Amino acid sequence: MEYLLHIFIIINFYVILSQSLTLTAGYSGLISLAHAGFYGIGAYTTAILPVKFQLPFLATLPIAMLISGICAVIVSVIALRTVEDYFIIITLGIQVVAFSIMNNWMDLTNGPLGIPGVPSISIFGFAFESKISFLLLTLFITVVVFLLLRNVTKSPFGRILIALSEDEIFTKSLGKKVYHAKVASFTIGGMIAAIPGVLYAHYISYIDPTSFTIDESIFILSIVIIGGMRNLWGSAIAATVLIILPEALRFIGMPSNIAANMRQIIYGLALVVMMFKFSKGFISKNYVGQENK
Amino acid sequence: MQIVFNILILFSIYSLIGLSFSLIYYTSKAFYLSHAAIISLGAYFTYLFNQNLTFPFYVSITFAIILSIFFSLFLEILIYKPLRGRINHSFLLLIASLGVYIVLQNIISLVWGDAPLNIRIIEIKPGYHVLGAYITTTQFVIIAINLLAFLVNVFFYNNSKLGKKIRSISTNNELAKVFGINPNNVIIWTNIIGSCLAAIAGILVAYDTNLRSTMGFNLLLYGIVAMIIGGVGSIWGLLSGAFLLASLQQIGAIYIDSKWMEAIAYIILILFLIWKPLGFSGLKLKKTEI
Repeated sequence: MEYLLHIFIIINFYVILSQSLTLTAGYSGLISLAHAGFYGIGAYTTAILPVKFQLPFLATLPIAMLISGICAVIVSVIALRTVEDYFIIITLGIQVVAFSIMNNWMDLTNGPLGIPGVPSISIFGFAFESKISFLLLTLFITVVVFLLLRNVTKSPFGRILIALSEDEIFTKSLGKKVYHAKVASFTIGGMIAAIPGVLYAHYISYIDPTSFTIDESIFILSIVIIGGMRNLWGSAIAATVLIILPEALRFIGMPSNIAANMRQIIYGLALVVMMFKFSKGFISKNYVGQENK
Repeated sequence: MQIVFNILILFSIYSLIGLSFSLIYYTSKAFYLSHAAIISLGAYFTYLFNQNLTFPFYVSITFAIILSIFFSLFLEILIYKPLRGRINHSFLLLIASLGVYIVLQNIISLVWGDAPLNIRIIEIKPGYHVLGAYITTTQFVIIAINLLAFLVNVFFYNNSKLGKKIRSISTNNELAKVFGINPNNVIIWTNIIGSCLAAIAGILVAYDTNLRSTMGFNLLLYGIVAMIIGGVGSIWGLLSGAFLLASLQQIGAIYIDSKWMEAIAYIILILFLIWKPLGFSGLKLKKTEI
């Protein structure tokens, strides 16, 4: 039972991560491979602040989101000088630099040794120590994030994002501030990605840089792509399936190291198949029709 | 003196991989990340033939290169060719090739395990003492092969019929089609040459250090960084990019710390993309015209 609860908590983390990337990559078309970096910023802020300054959870969450947001603005200003596949390559570079900082800046992050002893969450004296209470908290946050993102994507701002990802110059000619919209969507994505980082650090109570590698970024991006790019429900389902998959394989009796490889093989294949299926314009899926309904 | 040799060796590896990647990139205009898997496959096939099947050294290298080429052609015909020419194809190809890379890398680690393997046949010697620096036989071979590959490529690029076709396709695809050049055939040829070079680079790195299932990805990214900072579309730019990357990494490793080598490469890339997105050569890049 504890094990099931653990898996559900991890699923919730990845649902939040993939949904924040759905806004950035799916709606505004900024395919970013730096998402695990923001996840890591959230986790490291949480690990450093409560341990060094004894700050409570309700204070660290906004601080972590703020720091991640500032980093996201800087990253987007740098990365938005490029377009299309160069954008993917430059965000990949930024991700590697971020990982390298987490791994090598011994004074701040304790390097590959990681930071142990992150306290568990307590809000107004109530400590979320049992798994079931933690699950309820993460579920609550996931629902809040989901509703927030659904409203954002249905708002006029969300329509600007869809428009600019389909035809940037045309959107510009309508008088929309394309550049600002891109930076804003990237920043919101980065800020939300810090939330699961905060929760993760509190939950595992020990973090090290190997949880925030480029492979992690690729995994989050795969969830979004398999979920159908502009589909919040789709990415939630894809996250659930991809997290449960290796556990299910292990349940059948596959050794765990083979199960981990099998999961990667399956999502690699899913990426290739997805590219074939959506190639007739999966960026320009008939969203206009849906809006008119 | 040692540092000069180190720079030379790194430069050779980066420029060899950059060359192999850029040949394919010029004609197909897409980032094939699965090229990284071809690099590792070259090394692992050599391991398979040499260690597992105990073939002689040269035979196993030849087989490994041929098999890698077949693999890359197989991917090209089965996966990339149908995707090319569709809407938004550069993105589709990048993600599809990323998927292919993930699959191949995991198959390698399923078959051969995640632990680093060793294929050195010769017992470890201290290396030669040249001009106050130590250098091993493999490293001599790396530098020599890079020089050879580069000279052959420049000659072939400028003087052969296929080289002309490659140049015409990379500068203006539509016009080349009008003149009756079939881009698909040219792309297949660049795939053959590119994956041959990539497999050679993989084998050389494997003999110089060791084999890992993820070795190709980092090497390929360094090759891409060298290509971008050198300016896409120019072989001389690629060489100067690889040289700048290798020397800054080595100097950084000595004066700062060797653990920052990875970060240095990408910081150079980011700085170049901010201030000089066209690279050294200044050739016009499709991606920055908007």
